Amino acid sequence: MLLEVNDIHVYYGKVAALHGVTLEVSEGEIVALIGANGAGKTTTLKTISGLRPLARGRVRFQGEDISKVPAHKRVALGIGQAPEGRGIFPGMTVQENLLMGAYGRKGDVSGDLAQVYEIFPRLAERKSQYGGTMSGGEQQMLTIGRALMTNPKVLLLDEPSMGLAPMLVAQIFDIVKEINERGTTVLLVEQNAHQALQLAHRAYVLETGAVVKSAPASDLLHDPEVRAAYLGGDLGVA
Amino acid sequence: MLDDLSNQFLPSTVGGLAAGAIFALLALGYTMVYGVLRLINFAHSEIFMIGTFASLFVLTTMGVTGPLTGFALIGMLLLMLVVSMAAAGGAAVLLEQVAYRPLRKKGASRLAALISAIGASLFLQEFFALVVIPAVFDKAGRNTTGVPRLVDRDVVFTIGNANVRTDHIIVIVAAIAMMVLLDQIVNRSRMGRGIRATAQDPEAAVLMGVNIDNVVRMTFLLGGAMAGVAGMLYVMEYEVTQYNEGFVLGIKAFTAAVLGGIGNIRGALLGGFALGLIENWGAIFLGSEWKDVIAFIVLVVVLMFRPTGILGESLQRARA
Ligand SMILES: Nc1ncnc2c1ncn2[C@@H]1O[C@H](COP(=O)(O)OP(=O)(O)O)[C@@H](O)[C@H]1O
Ligand SMILES: [Mg+2]
Repeated sequence: MLLEVNDIHVYYGKVAALHGVTLEVSEGEIVALIGANGAGKTTTLKTISGLRPLARGRVRFQGEDISKVPAHKRVALGIGQAPEGRGIFPGMTVQENLLMGAYGRKGDVSGDLAQVYEIFPRLAERKSQYGGTMSGGEQQMLTIGRALMTNPKVLLLDEPSMGLAPMLVAQIFDIVKEINERGTTVLLVEQNAHQALQLAHRAYVLETGAVVKSAPASDLLHDPEVRAAYLGGDLGVA
Repeated sequence: MLDDLSNQFLPSTVGGLAAGAIFALLALGYTMVYGVLRLINFAHSEIFMIGTFASLFVLTTMGVTGPLTGFALIGMLLLMLVVSMAAAGGAAVLLEQVAYRPLRKKGASRLAALISAIGASLFLQEFFALVVIPAVFDKAGRNTTGVPRLVDRDVVFTIGNANVRTDHIIVIVAAIAMMVLLDQIVNRSRMGRGIRATAQDPEAAVLMGVNIDNVVRMTFLLGGAMAGVAGMLYVMEYEVTQYNEGFVLGIKAFTAAVLGGIGNIRGALLGGFALGLIENWGAIFLGSEWKDVIAFIVLVVVLMFRPTGILGESLQRARA
């Protein structure tokens, strides 16, 4: 198992955001984590990457307990995250943003840079533009590309389709698929449940800080409860 | 009035540039710490004060009683520079460790950090007045301490009716050289990239593998070292210091940082020189006792029209 999240409890102040989330991701998979706004999806990812401390439970990566490893050291272990709401460096150029992804790495990264530009030709065209002046979709590509530059074993994506036009959403999902096919494991958080479930191998449904369902993604696509809650009832499935 | 202006304009410009260079060096520390932590490091003025006493310590220890020339002068200036930078930089790092880091780790509010900063500022002033100055310099802690003249006030060249002296040249050249060095560190080095990333988005910076604690420590070290340079040049140029020498100067340097756009390194430079010049030009009309007032009138007027300062925030640039 590449990543194991075991019964994690996470608090903001005295308020519990997660009470006992357990999930697993094996190498090569795309695992989707779906759930309503406020369910705790972002908190789960932040706990895996170390941005939020956990009160109970543990996170294991490649068999090692990393619960106590500080966030900036988890990057080097192979956990890359593209944060929600983009979080690019607005005052750096596209290329500088991408090279920030390689901040902790030694040696030549030009090959990886070329690969990111291959996946995102749009970023290659805008190399020297400031991150803050890019469109929403381009910024989204930039956060994903930047996370790839950390050379992750598992890529944590937090709502990559948020706020994007439908055509761009489809494009982003295609890219996630491509990234996975090139060998990177993906844990994908989405409110866009329909498309996420079509793409993912397996999925977890999160409700108010706890996992309420886990199953192969194709099963969840046909699960009546999931359809009613997250896929807009019958209309959601084409 | 117009006579005053034509007689005094160029000399005031030279004096204004020298004062502005020192404001700018000091403004860098305020602006960098603000950029990274969104904290007004109120005790930065005391870091400067420590820098002045470090230079005084060198002069006393080396037995300097009168002006030096040639290599002896250059060697002495370099020694003062190194010692002041080390003392002020080290003090700034210690300050962060003791007064700010524990609060940051507990997620305390910015107001708590500001109060801690004011407390640290008072503590350092009193510590120097009560302990360091009597013990190390054998002087009454609250008196102004004179500093022996190190550089002769020789006129090197004149521009119109303005005399440009050796000391002016040393202050302006040294300040600009240090600022260029800092700019290169922040814009070219790996640690500089970490500092800029943290200023723009601390959480994203951590996700890139940036160790925020190291970035903060480095920010205080660099800002403190620049305050050390300012202290060394101040002692050489104005030949006095005391336990609270940083107070008014610190407020003016902070003003310069806000004027240029707080968080913006080049803005601090611009704001510092602008403030030095405006103060000295304003003094032509109103008399030099009005200098401090002029500085703050300028600040208020600029902020009315450009609330983010002349250059705006840019260490982080348009951070949401
Ligand atoms: N910075 C924060 N401070 C306090 N509460 C928070 C914070 N971030 C998230 N929460 C709370 O934690 C819960 C989970 O939030 P989050 O993980 O962002 O959910 P999701 O990503 O699924 O929308 C919500 O109830 C939210 O209000
Ligand atoms: Mg979220």
